[in-house]
Amino acid sequence: MTKHFLRKSQINFYFNRYLHEKSRFENGPNLEYFLKQPKSNDYQGNLILGKGEQRLRIPPWLKTEIPMGENFTKLKNTMSKLNLNTVCVEAKCPNIGECWNGGEDRIATATIMLLGDECTRGCRFCSVKTSRKPSPPDPNEPENTAKAICSWDIDYIVLTSVDRDDLSDQGSSHIAQTISSIKRQKPNLLIECLTPDFRGDKKCIETIVKSNLDVYAHNVETVRELQSHVRDYRANFEQSLNVLIYAKELNPNLITKTSLMLGLGETNEQIRETMRQIRTYANVDCLTLGQYMQPTRRHLKVKEFIRPEVFEELKNYGESIGFLYVASGPLVRSSYRAGEYFIKNILKTKRQKKEAVNV
Amino acid sequence: MYRLIIRSIFNQNLFLKRYSSNSNNYINVTIIDRDEKLINAKAKIGSNMLDVVLDNKLDIDGFGACEGTLACSTCHVVLDSENYKTLPEPVEEENDMLDLAFGLTPTSRLACQIIVEPRMKDWVFVVPKDVNDQR
Repeated sequence: MTKHFLRKSQINFYFNRYLHEKSRFENGPNLEYFLKQPKSNDYQGNLILGKGEQRLRIPPWLKTEIPMGENFTKLKNTMSKLNLNTVCVEAKCPNIGECWNGGEDRIATATIMLLGDECTRGCRFCSVKTSRKPSPPDPNEPENTAKAICSWDIDYIVLTSVDRDDLSDQGSSHIAQTISSIKRQKPNLLIECLTPDFRGDKKCIETIVKSNLDVYAHNVETVRELQSHVRDYRANFEQSLNVLIYAKELNPNLITKTSLMLGLGETNEQIRETMRQIRTYANVDCLTLGQYMQPTRRHLKVKEFIRPEVFEELKNYGESIGFLYVASGPLVRSSYRAGEYFIKNILKTKRQKKEAVNV
Repeated sequence: MYRLIIRSIFNQNLFLKRYSSNSNNYINVTIIDRDEKLINAKAKIGSNMLDVVLDNKLDIDGFGACEGTLACSTCHVVLDSENYKTLPEPVEEENDMLDLAFGLTPTSRLACQIIVEPRMKDWVFVVPKDVNDQR
């Protein structure tokens, strides 16, 4: 019976512990502490890969959580049921948890990848499967994609695709059909399409532009000096810029957008020079800058982890040379949701202006 | 009694076969990476040299970007001239990709097209630099 009672010393011990925890809780961090972004200067680790060194460790501002949640599972099931591929899964995007679950506004979105999950090119930064002869495109894909997208409660969608150099029209009519299906079912849905370079074929670009999309995106991926090192041999800087120039030529009201990956060994001056060329020579409206992260062992190592402050500086520089919008940050990707809000505003303003003129 | 003897011989046979086939399955090759470091690698007979680099978890980045489908030239390796002559002729697609490789030599091949054979024991494969080192 005596063992049910605590000794006096034990009572003292537990009581003191309770008091200590109570004071820790009352004197602990407040809300501001959790809202404040940690300055990257606190991080002491190595950010630049030296000669002969192993992989760099991922700095804290790039760590993301394991994706899970109700919306996430729902989206995953929708995709597999309709046999749709997403670049989110195929290219191992770190933002998949955030975008598929819905972020702060709980609006979930995904970037559907058309024309299958096998690409005919082998770029050294991309983990999408490569094949010389991928399986023929699913003829039901345009309708299934349109059905899936129109069932979601969103007002902006990004479509992308793999390269299909094996098809006669390089997949452009398939993509255009998807965009038209979506526009038919939901005319007010804003569509951005991230297209391949179609090896510069103007007819393919025309097919896409004619489908009446709202934002035409094509990524130059990296600075001019690293193009042959990073991308497939069929891709190059001039060709990619010409795609964007021609799209704008066909429809001057179209918003064009491109994207750069940083951390592959380029210098800050090279990035700025590339941004200048994209803005002045190619007249591109929007730009996204993100940190390159090595998807698998077979891909290029990260040469440098760029600090968030540098991303901020580049964003200011981009806006100063005339970009309508620059989305710049380590985890920003070309179809990352953060950029959409601004682009939506631009498009709405344009539409309102057009309606005002028509009235 | 006889059963015991037969079983022990049978088991020994199996044991020997398993042991010897293990050593027969792999050969030792030498790979020199882009920083001129010598690496001893175990190459499985029947696999290709790209698989060897991946299986040995070698730290050569951007090697085999197209996963061995002859759509890139990132698994470019250079061999000794005698060893090079003994390999089967490359197919046209391999030659097309090799033409784009940086630092091409007369004894260059794509690692994904070299199938490992027992006679390739102690061969040396050099992985050349893939870009002008700007540092």
